[in-house]
Amino acid sequence: MDRRDFLAGSAAALVLGGVKPLRAEDNYPSRAITLINPFPPGGAADVVGRPFGAALEAVVKQPVVIETKAGAAGQVGGQFAANAKPDGYTLLVHIVSISGFEAVDKLFDRKPKFTRADFIPIARFTSGPMALLVNAETPYKTVKDLVEDAKKRPNEIIFSSSGLYGALHLPTVLFAKAAGIQMRHLPTNGGGPALTALLGNNAQVLVSSIAAANAHIKSGKVRALASFSAERPSSLPDVPTLKEQGYDVEFYLWVGLFAPKGTPEAVVRKLREHTKIAANSEAFKTAVKNIGDEHAYLDGPEFQKFWDEDAKRVEDAVQTIGKVQG
Amino acid sequence: MEGTIDSLLLGFSVAFRPDVLVYAFLGCLVGTLVGVLPGIGPLTGISILLPVTFGLDATKAVIMLAGIYYGSQYGGSTTSILMRIPGEASSVMTCIDGYAMARRGRGGAALCIAAGGSFVAGTFGLIVLTIVAPPLAAFAVRFGPPEYAALLVLGLIFLSYMSSTSLLRTLVMAVVGLMLGMVGIDSMTGHFRYSFDLPELGDGIGIVPVAVGLFGLGEILSTPSAKVVSDVAAPRLRELLPTRQEWRQSAMPILRGSVLGFFVGIIPGSAHIISSFLSYALERRLSKHPEEFGKGAVAGVAGPESANNSASTGAFVPMLALGVPTGPITAVLIGALAIHGVAAGPNLVSEHPDVFWGFVASMYVGNLMLLALNLPLVGLFVSVLRIPYSYLYPLIIMFCIVGVYAVNNSIVDVWIMLIMGVLGYGLRKFGFDPAPLVLGLVIAPIFELSLRQSLIMSNGDYLIFLQRPVSLALVAVSAGLLLLAAKSYVLRRKDWRASLAEAEAGEAQ
Repeated sequence: MDRRDFLAGSAAALVLGGVKPLRAEDNYPSRAITLINPFPPGGAADVVGRPFGAALEAVVKQPVVIETKAGAAGQVGGQFAANAKPDGYTLLVHIVSISGFEAVDKLFDRKPKFTRADFIPIARFTSGPMALLVNAETPYKTVKDLVEDAKKRPNEIIFSSSGLYGALHLPTVLFAKAAGIQMRHLPTNGGGPALTALLGNNAQVLVSSIAAANAHIKSGKVRALASFSAERPSSLPDVPTLKEQGYDVEFYLWVGLFAPKGTPEAVVRKLREHTKIAANSEAFKTAVKNIGDEHAYLDGPEFQKFWDEDAKRVEDAVQTIGKVQG
Repeated sequence: MEGTIDSLLLGFSVAFRPDVLVYAFLGCLVGTLVGVLPGIGPLTGISILLPVTFGLDATKAVIMLAGIYYGSQYGGSTTSILMRIPGEASSVMTCIDGYAMARRGRGGAALCIAAGGSFVAGTFGLIVLTIVAPPLAAFAVRFGPPEYAALLVLGLIFLSYMSSTSLLRTLVMAVVGLMLGMVGIDSMTGHFRYSFDLPELGDGIGIVPVAVGLFGLGEILSTPSAKVVSDVAAPRLRELLPTRQEWRQSAMPILRGSVLGFFVGIIPGSAHIISSFLSYALERRLSKHPEEFGKGAVAGVAGPESANNSASTGAFVPMLALGVPTGPITAVLIGALAIHGVAAGPNLVSEHPDVFWGFVASMYVGNLMLLALNLPLVGLFVSVLRIPYSYLYPLIIMFCIVGVYAVNNSIVDVWIMLIMGVLGYGLRKFGFDPAPLVLGLVIAPIFELSLRQSLIMSNGDYLIFLQRPVSLALVAVSAGLLLLAAKSYVLRRKDWRASLAEAEAGEAQ
């Protein structure tokens, strides 16, 4: 924008302003938008959120700032966004585990810090396929091998996770429940440490996003036994899905965009339009492909429908885990 | 070996391309600023600049971002030495003797030694990285929870053994630190502990607010009640450089710190934080004049500063060789590579040799740049000390508050820092050393997690610590240290620590 554009724009704004008084939501966005990333940098919400922020910036012609508010497995950032002024300038990028906090809080008789109803879903960006992985030194070649051995030795095989009730713990528990097996849980403090535990054979089993583990699957250090998608993901075409093998389990590590409850209709509509353009831009699609994630855009209403179904899976998993005795 | 040299030549051909050099320089420059300014840590700096790299290729992006990381380790010592504000946990130990040196008018020398030590350590780490990265990384991944727990026990015992002041006082401080470290969500059961319904306390009490409060703010609060001789601090220009004797005293600590830091750094997890604590304790034990520690011992700056730099280089080993992040910063770097379509993992070297070797070579170049950037700045930084205290101290308090707030954008952290400042004042008055408290706080969450993880792995059997060779060795060393400590009690003979404590008690009177 050079000076002439600026003058022309200011003049136009003055003229328009003279004709009819502007409401705040009519010229949304008129200043910088903040995207809250509730996880430490480098996590799924971060690596998807940053390219999206760059793409959105080009669409709305306003700065888009990523603010990291990490803590309590995504709960601190979620609570912050839920209590933010609902004006469309503070939005939340969160992942599948956003659905679980309410159930966990209920489990402990705590007042939920926020519920799903505190958010308006704007868009789903990605839906990352997950895989059941074992360390290559273990003898398991198929899911059946693993399940049989786990039945012989209940609570002996160790699986790692990114943390209790986290995005890697939940699918593992759903699988174990479907297969009727019990494994021992080794919680760590992140997706990276969980993978490290598997690579060092300190844990034998891990359910991880394929994006995070693909390099190790390719190098042969870990073996993928099954995927958690409805259909075989393009990144692992030779690995069967759990459904193919008779386990009725489905789970995705999705990343989506949320606005706090009470955001004006008009702002939500505009935001959805802008997000649609940004999320389907070539730059964003390339970035998602590069990090090994699967671009799976859903607009607000469809995302709401998907989210309601998905939340049932998450709540089921939280109930299955129950209250852990320490 | 020949292959390595060829590959390194390929790397340098990438690193010396003018456009790549520009980005390496930018990274180092930003890193230095990030390190010096107490507000922004390397993690924030890298995250903010990540989108800027979207238009670059993978090599330039990772070279620039990594420059910010290791550059900030250079600059991190500046505020510790001049103002006693540790920018992060790894500079806590530098506060003690670095600041004491500055008070004696040797601030310039301390900064030069820190920069020189950082350079040697960074280069040493790189050479080892170049030669033996892949086998080392495989070892590092085997380093599981039992080894980790044993290492931390060794660290704690080592430090309390080395401490000169009353063993009781040191232990009290360490235990307070360990207890503060218990605050937060229990990672095994999901219960909130001592968090008073504040979700910000869910992840525990941060190290930065505690360290900045205890050291930075505590120092300032206690100043009005002590006699301040302000003319000592402002050095003349020719006094900026270390004397020959000071260099000689720092040579061995730098070398030891480099080796120690590198091996602690390659362990995935947060082990790099304790590298500077371990190095400080080691230097104190080996020193012929342990009584000088805390009053401006050169080795107390040279060792820990070298250790934290070579630990930051060591942290690249698992990242480059395996694609396993050692901490949040390497996780962001892996993410940055991924966005550019380069998968960090065991195949990185074979699939993208230009990225891998270009990156390694650029770090050699970057280390030289940092030395060139930092040494001339020493004069500028030291002039900060010429500012009269009545102006400087309010500025420092502002830096403390802004800096602590900026780490997590959390006002709770600011309150923690203020409370710790008052506590730090009290501790100073009663002669307690706050360093063990910080160490306890650093260690508590990692130690708890790895101890309980180990017991999950063994199904509750403590023998797991003796069944695995590496953890057995670490436990044996710990036991040996305890026996050594017990010897002096049993034989009723004064060892070096007792005579030291006596000397110090005499001084205090």
